[in-house]
Amino acid sequence: MEDTGEMTGTTTVEPRAKTRDRRSPFVHEDWGAHTFRVNREVFRSEEIFARERDRVWDRLWLYLGHETEVPRPGDFKQRTLAGRPLIFARDSTGKVRAYLNACPHRGTILCRETEGNAKTFQCFYHAWTFANTGELVGIPDPGAYPPERGFAAEMGLRGLPRFENYRGFVFVSFAADGPSLREHLGDAREYVDLMAEHSEGGLEVIPGTHLYSIRGNWKLAVENAMDGYHFSPTHVTFVEYLKTTGYVTSDEGGRAITLENGHSVLVFSGHGGRVGMQWEPRFGESERVRVEDNVRRLAARIGEPRAKRVSGTSRILYIFPNLLLFDIEGLAARQLEPIRPDFTEVRAWELAPAGESAEARELRIRILGSFIGPGGLATPDDVEAYECVQRGVVATAGDPRPNVDWSDISRGMAREAEGQPARNVDEAGIRGFWRHWDDRISGSAP
Amino acid sequence: MIATITRQDVEDFLFREAALLDEWRLDEWLTLFEPGATYEVPTTDRPNEDPHRSQYYVWDDYELLSARVKRLKSKHAHAENPHSRTRRLITNVRVGEPAGAEIPAYAAFLIYKIRDGNVDQFVGRYEHVLVPDGAGLRFRKRRAVLELEVLRPGGRLSFIL
Repeated sequence: MEDTGEMTGTTTVEPRAKTRDRRSPFVHEDWGAHTFRVNREVFRSEEIFARERDRVWDRLWLYLGHETEVPRPGDFKQRTLAGRPLIFARDSTGKVRAYLNACPHRGTILCRETEGNAKTFQCFYHAWTFANTGELVGIPDPGAYPPERGFAAEMGLRGLPRFENYRGFVFVSFAADGPSLREHLGDAREYVDLMAEHSEGGLEVIPGTHLYSIRGNWKLAVENAMDGYHFSPTHVTFVEYLKTTGYVTSDEGGRAITLENGHSVLVFSGHGGRVGMQWEPRFGESERVRVEDNVRRLAARIGEPRAKRVSGTSRILYIFPNLLLFDIEGLAARQLEPIRPDFTEVRAWELAPAGESAEARELRIRILGSFIGPGGLATPDDVEAYECVQRGVVATAGDPRPNVDWSDISRGMAREAEGQPARNVDEAGIRGFWRHWDDRISGSAP
Repeated sequence: MIATITRQDVEDFLFREAALLDEWRLDEWLTLFEPGATYEVPTTDRPNEDPHRSQYYVWDDYELLSARVKRLKSKHAHAENPHSRTRRLITNVRVGEPAGAEIPAYAAFLIYKIRDGNVDQFVGRYEHVLVPDGAGLRFRKRRAVLELEVLRPGGRLSFIL
C-alpha cells in the first residue's frame, strides 16, 4: 500500500461520532453490542420521503451541475432538482446562473428545449420574454399593466435563493438561510480538491450524459457507493474480466472515512488502474508513457507527497445528499434525483482534464465506460442490488419481531471500537451517512 | 461475395440475430461479428456524438464485446441472472448505399424486456454497418440508438440492445 495521506493521518482517519449510542425511530446504534441498525421503513415510507423533501432537499446545498456543461455564453440546460424544474445557464455576460423553469407570469414551463444556446427565453403561452440575465425584456401590450415603474422589474426570472460554485461544481439551495457551501462541504472539500488537481487547466465534462433510473430509494444508491464490501461478490464478473487483461484486484489497504455533514469517502488502491495517473496492462504502452509524464509533471506542480495522493489511490466521495464523485479508473459525477420512495433518477457525467490529448480522452472514455453506467460491465449489477433491496424490504414491513424490519450496518464497528481505522470493506461510510440523515429526519438539526 | 445485398438479405440477418438474442444464444450471436467489430449505444442526450469524444452507454471494441458475452453467460452477471425475457420487434428495414464492402443497414426496433414483474420497452433504431461474409453478412459496426429521453422506467442496458 502506498503511503497516500489517508493512511498516515495527514487527513482525519479517526472514526467520528462513535461517541454515543443512538436510538431514534430510524437508527439504532449500540456501541456495547457493536450493532448499527436502520429501520427499513426509511426506504418505503411516503411520509419519510415528504419529510426528506422538507428537511433535506428544500434546505441543504444540492449539486446542480458542472460549470463546463454550459461552456459558452448563452448555453443552457434544463435540469430538475429535488422535483423542481430549473434552467442551468450561462448568461450573455458569461456568468453561470440557475433559474426556476417556470414563467413568473402564470407558472408555465418557460424553456422547453432540453438544452441549447439562447440570449432570451420566451414563454410560448403569452410571449413574455426574458433575457438570459433574468430581466423581463418584453411583454406584448405592456400598456395593459399599471404604468408604475417596477412591474417588469419584479417579474424577472426567479433565481434560486442561493447559488455557489466550488472549483467548477455548482451547487444551489432552495433555502435562503443556512451554512455557506464551503461550510457545508467541510472536510469533503479536500477530496474535491484532490480530484480537481488532476489537471492544471481544470476539469471539463465530456459530452454525453448517462440518464437512467432505478426502481429503488435514493439512499440505496448512497449505501451502495459507500460500500466497498459488495465489490468482490457483486462485481465478480468485472473482476474476472480485469484478470483476463492482466490486472488482479485487491481490497487491501482501503479506507472508509466519515466526513462532516453526512459526507464520506472510500479510498481504494487495488480496484483498477487510473487513466492518466496509474497504469494497468489494458491501458496499453502509450498510456504507460503518458502516466509517467503526468505523474512527474504533477509532482513538479504540487509537490511529491500531494501528487502521490492525487495519483496513487482511487476515491469515491459522497457529498450529502445528491452527489457522488468518482475518482477511479476515470472521473465521474453522479447526481441522485429522488422521484418516489421506491424510484430514483440518476444522471452521470464523465469528467476529464480540460484539453487532454485525443488519445488520452479516447482511452479514458473506453476504460470508465467498461465499468460504470447502465451499459457498463459493473453498474447494472449495482442497480440489481438496489432494486432487489427495494423489493426485499417489503417482506419485513410491519413485522413485530425485534430487529427483523431493520437492516444491519454493523460491519467493522468492533475494529473501530479498538481504535483501528475503518476499512473500505466495512460499513463505516454508510453509518456516517445514516447518522447525519437521522439527525435531520429524526432530530432537530436545522 | 454476394453481388447485391437486398433488403430481404438484411432482414433475414437481423431477424436471425433477434432470435439468437431472444434465446440468449450469445456464443452464436458473437459469431455474427467480424473480429475488430464494435457494438455501440450512444447516450440519449447525444445520439450523434462521436464515441471517441463522448460518453456512451456502450462502446465495446471486439475484446470488450467478447468479455460482455462471457460475463452475460456467467451466473454471476447478477443483473441478468436469471435472464430477462426479451422479445425484439424489428421493422422498417432499409439498406443504405454500399461504400466498398460496407453496407449500411437501418431498422427500427422495439424491445420488450420482462423481469421481476416489470415490462420495459426500449425503442430506437439500428444504424449498422454490415459486410458480406461468405454466403452471409456480418457486423462491422452494430449501433443501437435509443429514442428514449431517459432510461426510464427500465434503467439498465444489461442485456444486448
